[in-house]
Amino acid sequence: MNPLRLVIKELLYRKVSSLVILLTVIIASTVSVAVYSLSKASEDETRKIMREQGLNLYIFPKGTDLIDFYSVNSTSVFPDKYVDDLAESKTFDAVRHLTGILQLKYPDWIDPNGSSHQIVLIGYKDEAMQRYLPEQELMGTDVPQGTVQVGALIAKNITEGVPFTITGKDGKLYSFKIDKRLEEGKGVIDQGVAFNLEDLQKILGMEGKINKIEALGCVCKDGRIKNARNQVQSIFPDLEVTELSSIADARENQRLMMNKYGAFIIPFVIITCLLITGFLIYQNITARKFEIGLLRALGNSTNSILFMILAKAFIIGLAGAIIGFFTGTLVSEYFGKEIFRFTALNIKPAWHLFYYSLIIFPLLWMLSSWVPALIASKMDAAKILGEEY
Amino acid sequence: MRQKFLVRNTNNHEMIELKNISKIYKKGNETFTALKDVSFKIDKGDFYTVIGPSGAGKSTLLYVIGGLIHPNSGSVFYNGSDLYRQSWKELDRYRKNHLGFMFQQFYLMPYLTISDNIRLTSNKKQVETISYYLEKCSLSELKNKYPSELSVGEKQRTAFIRAIISEPEILLADEPTGNLDPGNSEILMSLINEYHKNNGTVVLVTHDPAMQKYSGKNITLEKGIMI
Repeated sequence: MNPLRLVIKELLYRKVSSLVILLTVIIASTVSVAVYSLSKASEDETRKIMREQGLNLYIFPKGTDLIDFYSVNSTSVFPDKYVDDLAESKTFDAVRHLTGILQLKYPDWIDPNGSSHQIVLIGYKDEAMQRYLPEQELMGTDVPQGTVQVGALIAKNITEGVPFTITGKDGKLYSFKIDKRLEEGKGVIDQGVAFNLEDLQKILGMEGKINKIEALGCVCKDGRIKNARNQVQSIFPDLEVTELSSIADARENQRLMMNKYGAFIIPFVIITCLLITGFLIYQNITARKFEIGLLRALGNSTNSILFMILAKAFIIGLAGAIIGFFTGTLVSEYFGKEIFRFTALNIKPAWHLFYYSLIIFPLLWMLSSWVPALIASKMDAAKILGEEY
Repeated sequence: MRQKFLVRNTNNHEMIELKNISKIYKKGNETFTALKDVSFKIDKGDFYTVIGPSGAGKSTLLYVIGGLIHPNSGSVFYNGSDLYRQSWKELDRYRKNHLGFMFQQFYLMPYLTISDNIRLTSNKKQVETISYYLEKCSLSELKNKYPSELSVGEKQRTAFIRAIISEPEILLADEPTGNLDPGNSEILMSLINEYHKNNGTVVLVTHDPAMQKYSGKNITLEKGIMI
């Protein structure tokens, strides 16, 4: 008789024992998949929160005094080509959404009513596409050439349909169509105007110059700022990186905490389930000692006994991995909705995990059955089957 | 040096020869001599009955012949080759290809039907042979039933078919009638006898002297010694 058929028949006959072993695989697999999926969702959530917070890493010329940057109108500048160079770098992957910016105060802007104001002018270079990183949705401010976006406080002084006008360093009057009138509460831009970088460079006579790069720090193992700082300074030693700390830090800490828990919970649950399985398989072979003795007497080799025990563990491991994967995904989807704001509906089955589970769990369960299988294969058939010596 | 099976056969009729077989069991400081200097030959077509009281070493002798218990001293020759100088693999093959086992407790797999229990030792080509024996042993109608649904006599007849279905050269039966009533014992023994008459070799261990009427040769053991 085909040994595999024998294994399946035995498995179906001892339903309770088989189901309990199956349950251990399902628990281990469910916990692993759920914790992993939730941990991934937490990572995505952190990323999305960080995106919502806006760009959080500022790259300045080295030695820039940040107090001066926001209050005095004479900060160091550097070539806007630096942004393209960083985007072209193979080793620069700690930040995304590189946006070159020229930000200066304009002390005497005359509004259409003839009043003078000190306003902030911000020129945005188009967000750089990083050549060696996967494409991403644009995040930086995109201002088409010839247009401006005016902050809420300035917009109050300009009637709808009237263009924005400003006198350039060359004394000429420049006029721009207002593309967007920004809402209040956007920070420094409330009292400022956003330009396309080239337009602002022309107004200020600072062609090819910027004084800041804004970017989004990655969700890195060793922290956003440290990684980004090392990478930027290895390419441009004359630049430095400053982080705008935010709520994302708290989320990231939460994510790291979750990863730590995952690193403990997954092995703990798997090892516990493996030990239980080892014990159950041992009990199973003890209960089946007469069958094993008989099979040995009928000429079945130790290898075929080993095969039968391990095949059983493999089949249960495989079935448990499949069930556990879907249960784990359902669990993570259910709890994910409760926990996460942005990624709640984006928790999808991690199919790569499914394929790993199909390999890992059957192998682990075979491993846990190895000692009982060895014991079974070494059983003394004569001792078991003989009633007297 | 391990010898390969079936390399030499000194005598066409001589199948198994036991030479000075001794087997001693140790448990802590105590020792128990199960067999002491047992020697005899089994020729093709012999029907041996091994008789003796409980603890005389009958089952040990059977399992020594069956390649399941290594003796402490002496040799068992099968067709001229020393059995216990073979590899484990060879011993497995010896049991699979040349022996049929029957036990007092039947040892049927509880999760297999009668047919499937018999198929444990047969191959796919033996479907007709299985049907023949099922018919002969009055088990045809029970072939799809499980052991728990059978009487003891039916279980032992199933075990008999399982033992002889692969047409082994030797049938080793350990108290096969031990759990049977006289009627079922008679039926089983007549089946074993028929197997013997069709050129089968039988070694039957029993404590019932009445079984000697079926066999041509008898061995009596007492405290491991042939008397």
